[in-house]
Amino acid sequence: MVETFTPAVCGSRTRQRLAAAIFTLAAVASAALLGAALALVGAVVGAGRAVPVAAALALLAAAREAGLLRLPLPQSRRQVPERWRFELPLPLWAGGYGAGLGAGFLTYQPVSTFWVACASALALARPLPAALCFALFGAGRALTLVWPRRRGTDAVEAVERLAARRPALLRANVAGLAACAVLLGVAPVAHGAIVAAGLDPSVSLGNLAWARQDGSVLVRSNGVDTLFPAASAPSLDGGLLAYVDGDGIRVVRWRTGDQVARIGGNASRPSLEWPRIAYRTDYDRTRRIVLRNLETGRRRTLVRAYRPTDLGRPSLRAGRVAWHASNRAVSRITLLTISTGTRRNVARSKVALLRHPALTGKRILWTDERSGRAWLRLQRISGGRVRTLGRMRTREVGYWTTALTRRAAYATRWSLRTGRATVYRYGL
Amino acid sequence: MRRPEEALDRKAERLSAKLAEATTRRSFLGRLGAAALAVAGGSAVAAAVKPEEAEAFHFCGHIWTTGSCPSPYPPLARIDRKGYPLHPSSGRPIDNLGRVVDSAGHAVDGNGKRLVGPDGRVLPPAPRTRICEDWTREVHGLRDLRTQGSWFRCCGGQIRKLVDCCSFSRRRINGDASLVGYCWGGRRVYCVMYYDSGLPC
Repeated sequence: MVETFTPAVCGSRTRQRLAAAIFTLAAVASAALLGAALALVGAVVGAGRAVPVAAALALLAAAREAGLLRLPLPQSRRQVPERWRFELPLPLWAGGYGAGLGAGFLTYQPVSTFWVACASALALARPLPAALCFALFGAGRALTLVWPRRRGTDAVEAVERLAARRPALLRANVAGLAACAVLLGVAPVAHGAIVAAGLDPSVSLGNLAWARQDGSVLVRSNGVDTLFPAASAPSLDGGLLAYVDGDGIRVVRWRTGDQVARIGGNASRPSLEWPRIAYRTDYDRTRRIVLRNLETGRRRTLVRAYRPTDLGRPSLRAGRVAWHASNRAVSRITLLTISTGTRRNVARSKVALLRHPALTGKRILWTDERSGRAWLRLQRISGGRVRTLGRMRTREVGYWTTALTRRAAYATRWSLRTGRATVYRYGL
Repeated sequence: MRRPEEALDRKAERLSAKLAEATTRRSFLGRLGAAALAVAGGSAVAAAVKPEEAEAFHFCGHIWTTGSCPSPYPPLARIDRKGYPLHPSSGRPIDNLGRVVDSAGHAVDGNGKRLVGPDGRVLPPAPRTRICEDWTREVHGLRDLRTQGSWFRCCGGQIRKLVDCCSFSRRRINGDASLVGYCWGGRRVYCVMYYDSGLPC
């Protein structure tokens, strides 16, 4: 096919360049369209769970290309129709050739890699990333045409040189497929790596605290764990730890265990940023989020909600407090600036259950759940696009509490069937 | 005071019960649709709208092409009389996450016991909102949605009320042009839901 794109066939060097450009555009566009379409199909039929299948397919393909297995390859053993360049105007035949080759399955397949890519796009179920990946496939097809010309060599010679290196290319392809199989195999981990069994993560200065389901709290610092028995709902702030025990909230120096402050009564779910602490108090008819200055003792009720409206664990960082409020009609994530008293709904929904916000100075993280799906959302406090950090498509597992740092997000996932909770880490 | 459409629904329900007793599931509408397409596009196309196939594709009783409204168990947008979601198979009330809930909105297990979270506390109620006026409005960004027209079919041995979620939009949930269907006041069918009456047919 490459010998078609010469000044002699095209009519002039300018027309040759035009044909190559159209070919490239068509190849990239058709490949991107194919990737997007596959991902769209994946999203519709719920192929997100097919990642392990794609991994297995990549492994099979690697074995096939290594000569360990003999498997037939679904393909059309056709080449681009030569008559097109005699019958059709240049833009049409150049575009047609590009689209045909970019789409992949319309022509001869020398290796099985293309089908692994198709399975991966289906499993990815995200049209835009899939389109971008497949656009690279289209660009690769066009490169065989453009690259020899850029070096001033004959395209046919270049392709023949490439064919002479086929054994090395096949070996590289096998290595690539094996790498794909491994990466796809660990993909669920990439969508959040397990940190610890437990819930309610809290992170400060690289130290992590979380609650264990046996009723204790662990603080992990440089691989060393410090245990606080009969404790729950931890909140770390540098060398200080706030947690809930039988008598309310206790604030301690977590390295020594020395008590710094105590809030008695029905206080729970603390978030500490010394000297301030935000927490929830429960009364017969209401729930409240309270902000207290532990040095001055000044106390301020930030929000009061009548039961059964749920007020979640507040998150206090950089002079702001975020919390969730949800009931049978609506759920919302609210952000309050302490100094000005201004508050706004970061997210509000009458459909989704929005919960468990976590703050840094610049970002806010929360969970979003509805109809068998759950997402971990991240947004800049100043506004802008909402980014999805994690997603699950199951009714068996849900998100619980979260934590956020500048470099990573932490979220609890829990099984509705067993009640077991696990803290996951997501890179930002 | 009862709304006029409720009276209309009751009359339609009685009429449908009589009609359903006299016909099989391959209803008049199904046959009419197949016949019309057979004339227009030949038997191959007509086969695609045979009631049994169409029911398998979408949900029983709905042989036309407008898609279901978004719901906790898509595409089975089963609702109660007030338009709130129900579990497609058990018919019990569910919240927007698809969990069966009790009268106070707490998620419960198969024995009616309230579910607890990983912290050992009872899970708080999650939103449970109307499929047409709340779900479809938020998911598809339409502010004028109303539950309006309905019709009745016999499904699984009981009368099923198929309900139109109507909008002034000229596009329906499928993305193509909407039909007037059983909507009124200038509205057209945006998506469909269903209510199982429990009345035998």
